[in-house]
Amino acid sequence: MRIGHDLTVRVPAPYEEPVGRAWLDTQDRHLGHYVNGKWLKPEHRNSVPCRDPITGENLASCPQAQAEDVAAAVEAARTAWENWSGLPGASRAQYLTRLAKMIQKHQRLLWTLESLVTGRAVREVRDRDIPLAQQLLQWHAVQAYTQEETLAGWEPMGVIGLILSPTFSFLEMMWRICPALAVGCTVVVLVPPGSPTPLLLAQLAGELGSFPGILNVINGPASLGPILASQPGVQKVTFCGAVEEGRVLRRTLAGQGAELGLALGAESLLVLTEAADVDSAVEGVVDAAWSDRSAGGLRLLIQESVWDETMRRLQERMARLRGGRGLDGAVDMGARGAAAHDLAQRYVREAQSQGAQVFQAGDVPSVSPFFPPTLVSDLPPASPCTQAEVPWPVVVASPFRTAKEALAVANGTPRGGSASVWSERLGQALELGYGLRVGTVWINAHGLRHPEVPTGGCKESGSSWHGGPDGLYEYLRPSGTPARLPSLSENLNYDTFGLAVPLTLPSGPEIGPSPAAPYGLFIGGRFQAPGARSSRCIQDSKGNLQAYVAEGGAKDIRGAVEAAHQAAPGWVSQPPGARASLLWALASALERRESAFTSALERHGVELKTAKVEVELSARRLRAWGARAQAQGHLLQVAELRGPVLRLREPLGVLAIVCPDEWPLLAFASLLAAALAHGNAVVLVPSGVCPIPALEVCQDMATLLPAGLVNVVTGDRDHLTRCLALHQDVQALWYFGSAQGSQFVEWASAGNLKPVWVNRGRPRAWDQEAQGAGPELGLRAARTKALWLPMGD
Amino acid sequence: MGGRIPTRGSRRGQRARGQRARGQRAGGGGQRARGAEGPGAEVAGPAPRGTGAGRARRSRGGGTQEGLGGGELGVEEPATAAVARAMSARNLGTELDLSWISKIQVNQPAVLRRAEQIQARRMVKKEWQAAWLLKAVTFIDLTTLSGDDTSSNVQRLCYKAKYPIREDLLKALNVHDKGLTTAAVCVYPARVCDAVKALKAAGSTIPVASVATGFPAGQTHLKTRLEEIRLAVEDGATEIDVVINRTLVLTGQWEGSDFIKTSTGKETVNATFPVAIVMLRAIRDFFWKTGNKIGFKPAGGIRSAKDSLAWLSLIKEELGDEWLTPELFRIGASTLLSDIERQIYHHVTGRYAAYHDLPMS
Repeated sequence: MRIGHDLTVRVPAPYEEPVGRAWLDTQDRHLGHYVNGKWLKPEHRNSVPCRDPITGENLASCPQAQAEDVAAAVEAARTAWENWSGLPGASRAQYLTRLAKMIQKHQRLLWTLESLVTGRAVREVRDRDIPLAQQLLQWHAVQAYTQEETLAGWEPMGVIGLILSPTFSFLEMMWRICPALAVGCTVVVLVPPGSPTPLLLAQLAGELGSFPGILNVINGPASLGPILASQPGVQKVTFCGAVEEGRVLRRTLAGQGAELGLALGAESLLVLTEAADVDSAVEGVVDAAWSDRSAGGLRLLIQESVWDETMRRLQERMARLRGGRGLDGAVDMGARGAAAHDLAQRYVREAQSQGAQVFQAGDVPSVSPFFPPTLVSDLPPASPCTQAEVPWPVVVASPFRTAKEALAVANGTPRGGSASVWSERLGQALELGYGLRVGTVWINAHGLRHPEVPTGGCKESGSSWHGGPDGLYEYLRPSGTPARLPSLSENLNYDTFGLAVPLTLPSGPEIGPSPAAPYGLFIGGRFQAPGARSSRCIQDSKGNLQAYVAEGGAKDIRGAVEAAHQAAPGWVSQPPGARASLLWALASALERRESAFTSALERHGVELKTAKVEVELSARRLRAWGARAQAQGHLLQVAELRGPVLRLREPLGVLAIVCPDEWPLLAFASLLAAALAHGNAVVLVPSGVCPIPALEVCQDMATLLPAGLVNVVTGDRDHLTRCLALHQDVQALWYFGSAQGSQFVEWASAGNLKPVWVNRGRPRAWDQEAQGAGPELGLRAARTKALWLPMGD
Repeated sequence: MGGRIPTRGSRRGQRARGQRARGQRAGGGGQRARGAEGPGAEVAGPAPRGTGAGRARRSRGGGTQEGLGGGELGVEEPATAAVARAMSARNLGTELDLSWISKIQVNQPAVLRRAEQIQARRMVKKEWQAAWLLKAVTFIDLTTLSGDDTSSNVQRLCYKAKYPIREDLLKALNVHDKGLTTAAVCVYPARVCDAVKALKAAGSTIPVASVATGFPAGQTHLKTRLEEIRLAVEDGATEIDVVINRTLVLTGQWEGSDFIKTSTGKETVNATFPVAIVMLRAIRDFFWKTGNKIGFKPAGGIRSAKDSLAWLSLIKEELGDEWLTPELFRIGASTLLSDIERQIYHHVTGRYAAYHDLPMS
């Protein structure tokens, strides 16, 4: 026995973990899939060992699923869905509460098993993950209980597929299955082989007996994702993993039946200003990167004036961190296997070769898979590592001079997950918090999570949400929406779709009165001639020439997107009241020229009565969204936190909308109104057969709205769609057109992972309130940001 | 002692603590002493304007850990080294620079979160736990501050300070020859004589600390407070815990000290982790700025062995191992020691001790 410095430097506290191994023994060290409330252990499958990530010891073997196992799981989920979705919310609430208790009873087993197989520090799993898993179930039980009341008008989607990549813990699964189960969906989870905790959870759920098949877990590589997505009945697939994997999945699933939700990347951001409590901010860095709380690395922005002081404190703090076996109760950081080690190693070596300074410290075993806390600084701004995602447990520090510069640097990456701002100056902290383009912002804290607060992202972090109301809507659709079916057209050539600019030739003699001069493209607040300098003719319902409209092309789209970007900041900063009054003014203008719109619609074969209704409804939509502009976002009160969490609804940015052919004026007005009310700048492609009413509205917009806020480009729809879908600086795209066009849009959106909304060739009832002006439009027209504001003196 | 706080209910208390503790970062510019002058020398008194915050101390000549040499115990250095360190570590003070204070930012919610974390962070078990607990014993200022203290219970206290853990338990752990004692005994000025006598009789050189200067309120005249210190030193106290004059603190007139304490231990809220975190960070900043190491003493409410481990890990995490020495860290406690002994008993025997199994203090 030694007392003294020796002992204070090394404080191993081995944790007993027989219960984890004992559970593996009950499975004869051979894990299967958990499907329909029982274990499924098919013969003749390739087995993958489940290893202790630190010792490499073989803990159990896991069979890799094959297509038929996936089909069996989906079938079980589909059968269970018929019953589960029809239950009253109160019954589902009861079930979720029972599951929470089940977790409580077996928490020791859960945390030892999770720590054993993932290598994460047991105290994080025990003190944070397990209680949070219970809270999630309890909070969502309450949501299920009140579902009929608070979520009226929405119904569960159906079977949900959830694909987890190896770096995500079982908690990520809980964040997603809880809302799905609560609202009445059933789930099939595809986990990488060698992660038994999700299987254990499924077993616990299954052993409640009442509803086998609502939660099924299968082992298999992520490459089974497309097979899972294409099973009949699967309505949505949620994927958590790396950005590139997400991109591939997005492309593969274009045109498939299931909707795709992506939650990508794990890097976080921390902005440390000179007005910060630096010591506390350093603890924030520890939470964000040098602990087992986070999955990814950290980008750290430090104000120049406190750079030296902060670096000194960081290095001092790093030296006191302790790494080791996850089951050792006194470690700050465990290890996450050889793959994670190699990833970090590679990043650090590359950073070094690109000229960065690397500082490593801490009491961490110097063998793989252990990786010490690492601080990278002086990375040249243009080096590849600056753009690459920072892996755990690496922190990349760079300086900034002013808050404005910090925003520019922070928003200059393709990632949009989470960030924290450290400043004791309220005004500065809020300015940064509002300005950061990310899904979650913590002020003077990092990594707080609560079931009630939505978590998600934007840009390449994907636009899938979990937690809070947003998490619930992920698994709901407006009542009466038909189930999603695949509209896959196998022979669609993505390389050539909409590539060719159609040649415009004279279409025969101009009969009747000579049509007016061709309509131009409405870009930057005025009508402009198209870059191609050619026009296309629009025929009325009788086949007569009605008018010429401009033939827009790639350059016109570029100009329109640029104009929209210029107008966007001004529009965002307008108070909602001002936005509302402009929309109302537009509605009045529409009503004043009712007869002109009516006759334009009549020429396309719309009956007079219907045409009148369409104009009237269009004006009403503009007014309705104008009014709703004033009620955005709300406040959440989180139990453990003193102070509020703001759920902000921020504009997407530049939103491109390809309008449907049907209801040429009403659909145009409905989509435009929703987009503008939420603060977006818009590029629209109007109805192909009848663009005239939309262009007529542009004449009013030219005088009423700020230049560039709304841009309308006519021309070949496939070609324009291609240009918009492949544009990296368009933040979202709504497409109402053909099934093929929808498939292309989904495929092309993988470029910047913009959220897309497509109709897959199905017409929408724009004159119906639910489909034409329902809350679905509002949800899609803005993105959520959670702003945490802890208070205290 | 260092900073009594006008607390009535925890929220108000926190606030006052925050302010006060922030102030401590200034380090202070007054004269105070860790008297290294040798036995018998006067403790340098409080500053002309007020009182020093925390503890003024005379050299103990390496006394605390008598016999704890040999490098096995972490606190181990031979006497000369201890003196040298005490001298080098002595806070000679700096010019009062109030801009240090005004620059300090403390984010209360973040500090509260850190405090919560730190208590759960280190789980030491088994023999490591036992070793940590023995180490905690060496930081204890074994204290009795009751109105009914007499020479007999002070004598018992001193004996306990000399033999904090039952001999057979120490033997079982093979540390019986390390001369394990508490860091000091702490009594009222009137009991210093008794304590010195008792310790001498027990053949121990454990230092006697005394609270002085109108403890616990500090609201007496400067003249009587100075006299109180002088008398306590005359009786043989080598360390004085001084209650600072909060009237001066609240008007921004700061003083320095060798040690700072969370509170007197006689408040409704005493040593709490959030306050300690702020104070420890102030100590580190002061060290970085001036090279002076200021000691830290949480007092009041630390009763369980588990608590003491949390405090050790707090010091370790915020200041590092170099502060884990009785020169720089003390725990003011009266009942803590018996709980530690109970835990050691359990570790050695595998059984839970009955009340009568362990000698009282």
